[in-house]
Amino acid sequence: MHFGPIISSLLRNKTGPLLVALQIAVTLAIVINSLFIILQRVEKINRDSGIDVDNVIISYVRGFGSDFDVASSITSDIDLIKSIPGVIAATVANAIPLTGSGSATGLRAVPDPALDAASTGRYQWSDDGLDALGVELTRGRNFYPEEVDYHFPNEPSKPIPSVIVTQALADELYPDDDALGKPVYWGDMQQSTIIGIIGHMHGSWVNWDKLGNVVVHPGKPVQTTNKYIIRVQPGMRDELIPIIEQRLAESNRHRVVKRVSALADAAAGSYRSDRGMAIILSIVISLLIGITALVIIGLSSFHVTQRTKQIGTRRALGAKRRDIILQFVAENWIITAVGGLLGAVLTVVIAYWLETSFSLPRLDWNYLPIGIVTLWILSTLAVIEPARRAAAVPPAVATRSI
Amino acid sequence: MFAYYIKLATKSMRRNPMMTGLMIAAVAVGIGLSMTTLSVYYMMNSDPIPAKSDKLFAITMDSWDPLRPFEENRPELAPHQVTHGDAERLLAIGYGKRQTAMFESSFIIEQDSEDAMPFEVSARVTDGDFFPMFNVPFIYGGGWDESTDKAAETVVVLTKALNEKLFGGVDSVGKELTMNGATFRVVGVIDRWEPTPRFYDPINGAFNEVNDLFVPFSLTRPLELNSIGSDWGWKAEETTTFEQWLNSEAVWIQYYTELESPGQRGAYEAHLNAYVEEQKTLGRFERPMNNRIYNVMEWMMDYHQIVADDTKVLLGLSFLFLMVCLLSTITLMLTKFVGKKSETSLRRALGASKKAIFKQQIVEVAVIGFSGGLLGLGLARFGLEGIEFLYEAPPGLVRLDWVVMVAAITLAIASSVAAGLYPAWRVCQVAPATQLKAQ
Repeated sequence: MHFGPIISSLLRNKTGPLLVALQIAVTLAIVINSLFIILQRVEKINRDSGIDVDNVIISYVRGFGSDFDVASSITSDIDLIKSIPGVIAATVANAIPLTGSGSATGLRAVPDPALDAASTGRYQWSDDGLDALGVELTRGRNFYPEEVDYHFPNEPSKPIPSVIVTQALADELYPDDDALGKPVYWGDMQQSTIIGIIGHMHGSWVNWDKLGNVVVHPGKPVQTTNKYIIRVQPGMRDELIPIIEQRLAESNRHRVVKRVSALADAAAGSYRSDRGMAIILSIVISLLIGITALVIIGLSSFHVTQRTKQIGTRRALGAKRRDIILQFVAENWIITAVGGLLGAVLTVVIAYWLETSFSLPRLDWNYLPIGIVTLWILSTLAVIEPARRAAAVPPAVATRSI
Repeated sequence: MFAYYIKLATKSMRRNPMMTGLMIAAVAVGIGLSMTTLSVYYMMNSDPIPAKSDKLFAITMDSWDPLRPFEENRPELAPHQVTHGDAERLLAIGYGKRQTAMFESSFIIEQDSEDAMPFEVSARVTDGDFFPMFNVPFIYGGGWDESTDKAAETVVVLTKALNEKLFGGVDSVGKELTMNGATFRVVGVIDRWEPTPRFYDPINGAFNEVNDLFVPFSLTRPLELNSIGSDWGWKAEETTTFEQWLNSEAVWIQYYTELESPGQRGAYEAHLNAYVEEQKTLGRFERPMNNRIYNVMEWMMDYHQIVADDTKVLLGLSFLFLMVCLLSTITLMLTKFVGKKSETSLRRALGASKKAIFKQQIVEVAVIGFSGGLLGLGLARFGLEGIEFLYEAPPGLVRLDWVVMVAAITLAIASSVAAGLYPAWRVCQVAPATQLKAQ
């Protein structure tokens, strides 16, 4: 293989190849950085929430009229929902995880307001809550039914003897100790005891860095809008949503059933912008690879047509078909190599821009060699067909038109 | 002559349809993508109330926890909302030209007829000044005046859409509405009003739609209206009764003022400082003095940073993408010129000057740029619809602004011409006759 003549031929007509190399460089930089962002978003969307998201239905109802008794409507609603075949468990809650709406608080392991509190999502639900979300209690115990009482908005706050926390929150509160059975202190320095630990569970705001911190205290919150969490048998969700909606609406005309829907839909809504970004970037890199490949193919075919005489001459002078193919492939390799090198530099520049201006995580450098190799394979594939056509030029062509 | 060049251009383009198609497609895709992201960026950055944006101010006062700032990562900021007590007191002083305190709430509208189901609506609880302050257009009636605010009358202003739903779109001023058990009198119906971004409430969503109706802020206490927007508290205090909640240190009220001129800003901040100084003597506002007011653009861009990072990243990447598309176009054009050597030398031999060849060449790339630009605008339209679908944005939120359209076509032509300069120069270097020999 003689690279000498190929390089000198490239140098004689350097603008075209240089432009292609530049194009390959920018393509590489965009593709690698976009791919990195896409994979991160996909990973974020698919991370385990600890909740049986696919089999949970959520519902919002709101009563009206001065004589509306919220507490008794909660009792009858929950009894009604539980009586529907296919429902596993149901609870009223102060907020629903993954929906983007909820309550947060700060907890401390020692009752000292000067110390920074551990920020955490705060939930209140009945002894059915864990089952209604399908979250797993790894240690300790669930609430006893007698610990669960109605929590009215206009009553003085009562002591909260027991709470359940996630392992993530337990670790933040008691980094060196077993948190089970230990006290935690609320903002007003009221004390509660950790009676159970949830292995893993997500709270309400998927973009919050404390998403995994959750504290639950027992109770049935009486609010303007009641929020119900309902878990059903696998596969029955979509058929039960309209049934639950209808039964709730019929049972009491003095209220509005605002929504009965799948938790999965609400969760998807929370990840909407991440999914949007991943989809848009996927389209961008597909288009980009398509265009660059077309240009490489187009350019190579054009060169073949342009250099028919030269190829014929080489063939007439004894070059084999293999030599001609190699000539084109080698030419392509040199261009790709220059493009890849430039591209590596540009990739780093863009990655730096993304990291410093938008505090995106640092690019995983493994992407660079993988990207270059992929690009090299793709551009080789793009040049193979034109090169084969070049090799098919018969030696006689060279002499014909002189 | 220009028409002749155009004719030559189309002829030359048709001779090599694959190559021409690829060039136009490259320009179109590049323009389509970059204009889509530019439109989104432009929408997010646009001034929704240009006539007044430097005279309307959002107010912040640092009433937060003496031990830690409101926002850990940006400790220089005061809370984004104020307490209900502060809002009430500032309204009573009424220092600026106009002012309003507000929050989002929700009501159940009960209807008289049996078969009409009650339904929930979102409400903006605000002062009568809201409407003249933010240039809200009315179809019927108008807002309410200060005496209505003072007397806490149950009046309501409806949006066009809600008036359509409740009263079939007729002039409903004077009609009554039962909400949360109370009777409200309709005083006005506003016309379609969707300032984008929703500058008056970036806290609850800069790109949300307008609320369904408006009621006086002074009704908060008698009707015990709760906020459905965000509320933030730091102090462990008893908030069992509604009165305790209203008097708590929780921040959940947005406060805006309109000043006669941007120059009065310093005076207003001095007024706020005087107010806070007075509150300090009562044992409140224990943090260092930190009261700032923000005009519309500062409030959206600096405080709330409503332009998502993703949008900026996409904008940057899409312009790099456009660069790739233009590089493709240059490469393809250079390639094409080689194929035109014989034609060019023939024309040169027949007397065409270098200048004429160059001009004709530029016209050809301009035609390609223009076609690519037009096609790109079509793609951008499609792209924006795709974005609205992906992000479940209200339809028509992002539009192809005429500024963006003109920019697109100009950019397409200018960049294609720029891309064509070098190839065109190369083309006219062809010596007359030399190429004729081989024929």
